[in-house]
Amino acid sequence: MSALKRVQQWATFARIWHLYDAAWQNPFDSAQVIKKHLMGLHKPIYHTMSQCGDVVVVINSADIALPGDEWKKRVYFHHTGYPGGASWTLAWELHEKDPTMVLKKAVYNSMDGNIQRRYTMQRLLIFPDSNVPKDILENISNQLRPLRKVPKRLDHYPEKEVKEFPKIIDYPKDYIVK
Amino acid sequence: MSNKLFLLPALVSAPSQNGVGRYVGQLQRVVLKFCKNNGSSRGMRDFIESGLVNFAKENPGVVVYLKPRRHRSPIIKAEYLNGDTQWMSVRNFPQEEILKWLTLLNTQAQCHNGQRLRRLWFTEHPSIQGPWTPYTFRDPSLNLVSFPIEELAQPKDLPKSSEEELLELFKKQKLQEVESKRAE
Repeated sequence: MSALKRVQQWATFARIWHLYDAAWQNPFDSAQVIKKHLMGLHKPIYHTMSQCGDVVVVINSADIALPGDEWKKRVYFHHTGYPGGASWTLAWELHEKDPTMVLKKAVYNSMDGNIQRRYTMQRLLIFPDSNVPKDILENISNQLRPLRKVPKRLDHYPEKEVKEFPKIIDYPKDYIVK
Repeated sequence: MSNKLFLLPALVSAPSQNGVGRYVGQLQRVVLKFCKNNGSSRGMRDFIESGLVNFAKENPGVVVYLKPRRHRSPIIKAEYLNGDTQWMSVRNFPQEEILKWLTLLNTQAQCHNGQRLRRLWFTEHPSIQGPWTPYTFRDPSLNLVSFPIEELAQPKDLPKSSEEELLELFKKQKLQEVESKRAE
């Protein structure tokens, strides 16, 4: 292989680090996007036998939003292997113990159970908040758009903007604002 | 042994761009071994009588040897410029078929036994525009920013929210007020 072709190979199979903000996102829908980038399915050169997967760094996994009453109803099963070793953990309990676990399991379960899955999971880095170590942050060169709109709380708007917002109605004089 | 697993994968190749500008026949030597009595050599004997001289005249670059031997089945042994030797049994072959196989040996560049062609074409330059890289269709403005950035913090093509619509209406109303004042 000539020097030029070698460099071409490095460029084509360059591993990109993506950033994904999981705040206010459904982890099961997000898993489909994260999985796609972890496995390299978004690349035109994708092939099952070639290692073309990227790295995905997920931040704010503590702020994920499960749909409906899934926090109460979703159950994670574990068995130690010993008699009576079965345990069932609710999603909210698991999230309290480890705020990265729900998302991690969602991505893990979204992929086929083959040998490659463990190695693909090694390329997924999840952080419960936005504190990412500097050596990881400096590798990141792309950001994945979130799937759902991230709402903004009223107390996060600047005060001036809130005051100047057009008023539609005047409250009646005897109305008590809670 | 036609199982794919036992065959070595190979690409179509020509030695030192053979055929571009000039053609060098790659078959060096061919030995036809046959028996003078045995029935399995009949086609070979027919070919030697009727077609061999013609073949040798047409291909002056190929050395043709004949080797009669008693009570053995006929074979063709071909030797190529690259050192390959191909041995081929032509037992009970009619003379037409022997000529066909000889033509094949004459036109190929090496022995392809135990090989499997990965594809029926070969090119040094599979893509004119260059192979894809992750940077090919990338927005160059992303090269200088430090992540995370605000522009990619929301999904693409969001429908207009009621809040934005209200603000727009409010702006329009203000403009109209200013214009009506001017008119006065």
